[in-house]
Formats: sequence, C-alpha cells, structure tokens
Amino acid sequence: MDVLANLMGGFATCLTLSNVGYAALGAFLGTMVGILPGLGPSATMAIILPITFGMDATPAMIMLCSLYYGAMYGGSTTSILVNVPGEASSVITAMEGHQLAKKGKAGTALGLSAIGSFFAGILGTIGLAFTASTLAEFSLRFGPAELFSLVLMGMFTIIFVSGKDVVKSLMSMVIGLGLGCVGTDIVEGKDRFVYGISELLDGIDFVILVMGTFGIAEVLESAEEFMKITPMKVKFSELFPSLAEIWYCRWAILRGTLVGFGICCIPGSGPTIASFLAYGVEKSVSKHPEKFGTGVLEGVAGPESSNNAAVSGAMVPMFSLGIPGSGATAVLLGGMILYGLKPGPMIFVENADFVWAVIASMFIGNCILIVMNLPLVPLFASLLRIPYGLIYPAILIVCIVGAYAVASGLFEVGLMLVFAIAGYFMKKGGVPAAPMLMALLMGPMLERNLYQALNLAHGNVLVFVQRPISATLLAIIVLMAIFVGIRSFRGKKAAIEEAEE
Amino acid sequence: MRKADRIFGVIGLGLALWCYLESRKFDYMTEFTPGPGFLPFWVGVALAILSLYLLFDTVKRKPSEKDGKKLLPEKHALYRVAFIVFMLFVVKFSMNTLGFPLTLFVFTTVILAVLEKYSLLKSAGYGIAYAAVTWLIFEYVLTMGFPKGFLGI
Repeated sequence: MDVLANLMGGFATCLTLSNVGYAALGAFLGTMVGILPGLGPSATMAIILPITFGMDATPAMIMLCSLYYGAMYGGSTTSILVNVPGEASSVITAMEGHQLAKKGKAGTALGLSAIGSFFAGILGTIGLAFTASTLAEFSLRFGPAELFSLVLMGMFTIIFVSGKDVVKSLMSMVIGLGLGCVGTDIVEGKDRFVYGISELLDGIDFVILVMGTFGIAEVLESAEEFMKITPMKVKFSELFPSLAEIWYCRWAILRGTLVGFGICCIPGSGPTIASFLAYGVEKSVSKHPEKFGTGVLEGVAGPESSNNAAVSGAMVPMFSLGIPGSGATAVLLGGMILYGLKPGPMIFVENADFVWAVIASMFIGNCILIVMNLPLVPLFASLLRIPYGLIYPAILIVCIVGAYAVASGLFEVGLMLVFAIAGYFMKKGGVPAAPMLMALLMGPMLERNLYQALNLAHGNVLVFVQRPISATLLAIIVLMAIFVGIRSFRGKKAAIEEAEE
Repeated sequence: MRKADRIFGVIGLGLALWCYLESRKFDYMTEFTPGPGFLPFWVGVALAILSLYLLFDTVKRKPSEKDGKKLLPEKHALYRVAFIVFMLFVVKFSMNTLGFPLTLFVFTTVILAVLEKYSLLKSAGYGIAYAAVTWLIFEYVLTMGFPKGFLGI
C-alpha cells in the first residue's frame, strides 16, 4: 500500500504543465531518434544531457526517461516501413514487420507494435514501482563491503550476460577503471594521470566519454556511406489493427512484457537481448513456428512489447541499487549524479519525491506515446525522407555544444574527439564501449567502498567473504565466470571438431 | 579481425605499462587501506594479462570467418570518416578565433559541399541556417557563453 501512496504522490508532482511538457518533448525526441537510423537512444540522451544542466533534476529525468522508451516506440517504424532497424532492439521487428508490410499490412504491424508497446510500458512501470522499492528496502542493509561486491558483480554481469566477446569486454571495463583513476584520488588527495592539466583534476566527465564513444563514433560509422531510404507509404485509415488481431496477440504481448521486464532486471541484458528472447519464446510456443519470418503478428507484438518492458526492467537496478542495467541507464545514472542525487537504495529515502515522480511520469509518457505514435506515424515516417547527409552535421554540432557545456571550455571538446576516434575503432574491432562507460561511472564508487570497507575492518581483507551478502555476491561472480568459461571451452571444442570433420 | 586483435593487444600492453608506471609514483597501501597507487597498479596488471591473452589467442586460434573482417572500412568510407574528424578538430582549434556561429557555419558548409556534394550556395544556405538556429537556442536563449571570435559574435 506504501507503493500506491508513493505513486499517487509521484503523480501529484509530475502532473504539472511543465513536467508533462517535458515528458512530451522527450517522447517526441525519442520517437524521432528511434525512427532515424544512425543514432541510438544512449547517444541521444548523452547529447541532450549537458543541455539539461540548468534544469531541475525531476523534469530533466522525466524528459530523458521519456526519450529512452520513446526510442523503443519509434524504432519499429523504420523497421516495418523500410526494413532498416531504427535502433538495435528493433532488428527482430524488421524481420517480421517488414514482411507484414509487404503483404499490405504495414498499418496493422505499426498499430500492433504501438499498442503492444503501450501495454508493456504500463505493465513494466507497475513492475518497476513494486520491484524497485522492495529491492531498495532490502539493500538498505548493505554496508561498504556489500556495496563493493555489488558493484563488482554488476560490472561483471554486464560483461558475462551481454553476449559480446568476454576478453574484449573485460579489457574495455579495465580501461574504464583506469579512466576512473584520472583526477584527485579519495585516499590521499594525490593527482593521478593529471600531468599538470587543470581540467583533469576533477576527473574525466562521463558525458564526454559517452558523447565521444556512443554519439560521435556512431555518427562516424553511419556516415561512412550515403544512406538512401525510401519508406513504404501508410495511410492513417490503415493504422489500426482490428480488435480480433489485438485479442489474438494478447498472450504474445503479455509474454513479451514478462520476458523483457524479467531479463532486464539483470544488469547487462538490455532491450536488444530481450527482444530476441521474446521472439524465441513466441516461436517456441507457436502452433506454426514455420511461419515465423514470413510476417506473423506475434512476431511483431512479442518483441516490441519486450523491448518496451525492458526499459522499466533496466531501471530496477538503476533506482534500487545504483547499478546501471544497460548503456542507456548508465547515462541516466550519470545524469542523476550530475544533478546532485546519490543513486542507490538511499534515493528512495532521501529523494523519494524525485523517484516516484519519475516512475509516475512513465505512465504519462506511455499514454503520450500511444497518442503520438498512432496518428502521427505517417508524419514521422516522412522524416525518413530527410537525407542523412543533412542530419549528421546537426548531430555533430549538438555534440560539440554539449561537450563545451560540460565545463565551458574547448579542452573537453578535444577530449571528446579523442574518445570519438577511440570509440570508432573500438566499434570496428568489436570492443564494446558500454563496459568502459560503466566502469568509469562505477570505478570511483568501487574504490571508495573498498577503502571504507577495509578501513572499518582494520585492513582485514576477509571482510568481503565473512559478511554473508557480500560473500554471496562474490560467489555469483565466480559461478558466472565458471559458467562462461565452460561455455567458451565447449564452443571452441565444437569448432575444432567441426574443422577436423 | 586477427590484425585488429593484435593491434588492440599491443595498445592494451602499452596502456598497462603506462598504468603501472603511474602507480609507482604513489603509495600502494596505507596502514589499513589501499593507497592511491593500488587501483592503477591492478588496472595495469589486469590489462597486461588480458592483452597478452588476446595476442596469444591471435597466434593460437584457427582462422575463422570473423578474421576476414577488416578493421578499416573501404577507402572512400575511410576518407569520409577522416574528413569529418579533421573538420571536428578544425572546429575545436578555430572556435576561439572565429567565434561560435562562424565556426559552425564553416563546418557545416564544408561538410555538405565536400562530402555530401551539395552546391556551394546550397551548402552555405544550410550552414547559415544551422549556425543561426544553434546560436539562437544555445547562445541567445540558454546563454551558454560560447567563445566570441574576432567579429565579436
């Protein structure tokens, strides 16, 4: 009942004209970002973040969160109309949705996608409200040792669960930890990796890293080739699926919601993995799995629902534990730190108004998005006709502005460009940038909790295994490492046997 | 990808050495707790181990489909990327001299004219539009305080 009362309080805070306006603006920007290939939600949030510095934390976060799940709505439009996923979690929708469009059912696919996303968004937000607060209450028992182990587990989970190359992900994470060492250390106040550059005394701002490695690097990759897009035309009258079609997909929407929310409560999963899993679930429970790939309604409804529910799921560890569940939530977490908030379980105590207002705003944001996405799809689809050659210079300009805004200096712009070059080659070489970003954010927290835990234990290193919660979290890391190691060994063995045959 | 992995491995070793050398300037431990040199030391060690593993793997593993993938794109694509990066650095180094709106005008015009093959007039038109809108939003409305160049704008 506390949750309901808190949620009502949240609605009271967020139902102001300005907050609803910011939610709508975020939803609009997110939908556009989702539609336009070449820029993902993480990069866009990173670019918008410096511009929100002058705002209060609540409306800023409301706008950023709306942008995040708005991108999930928008991504399906390009996937269905053009067969080009607007963002990574819409790859599956491109497979099934475009086939439906070729059969003349583009409107049905778009409508079903929006409706599924809406229900999943609402159910996911309900899940977030109940799960995050419960988990936060439990984690109030955590001391520095538990927090150290939790952060370590969060970082390793992101690497082991993401499915990317483990060694390269670990390298990326370790480099991020190194970047987190730049600046004045917390123990003796000594300057590490500063070399007399005053701009580095406060460390490397994560906004610079994100805009460089996620924003500009993504634009550089997209700008390699001319992008010509010719979307299918959709009439307003064709946009609404029949009640029978919606009813037919009800279980696919529910299954997708559960998969998306559940999976993304685990740090590292993200909406992309959730959408693939949901597709796999739909195919496995279907009476006609052979039809998947030819344009089936459940193949759109399930994954699209899961990627929206995944947004709420990813926010559970972010709000309750202060651990980002994905690259996008890492940006949100960084934003909260920049606004002067302390992410973690205490946020439900010290900044309860803020948290519940943001959660409540997600209900409103989803309502805005369903209204925006259904009738305005033909308008949004027309954005695809704008040549990408005109779009990416604008994105680069906003990145430059954002980097300058961090500390009102051009040093940060230069640093961002260095990270952009590094990020571009990391993308080309298959080295994921998300672990580096997470480690930059979490590294100082890791070091601080290590310091505090050992200080309280008078240097006794065994404190991390003597405290049960900390020991459990460390054991989970070891088990995950063993599991991943066994899986990798079996994979290599199978590859060798196949080569020998 | 094998070549890319080797390059990353070597860069990783270089970064590892850098971290180790930096850690030597500070105390590794204080009385009870890690000192400022603790984390950089272990970052260096971890990076060295991972880089050596990556390098060893490129020698040991059998060729696969992934190894056919090139690190760098085709020449024309690389040229586009390199040109954009060059122009971004031009913006960084010229903003104090030219000022915010003029720099963005030059940036947009050159990019559109050279890379996107718009006519000079059209590129300049877009350049003025982008610079004007950006100045209006970020300088006039949000008063971000961008550098003013020799023209005083």
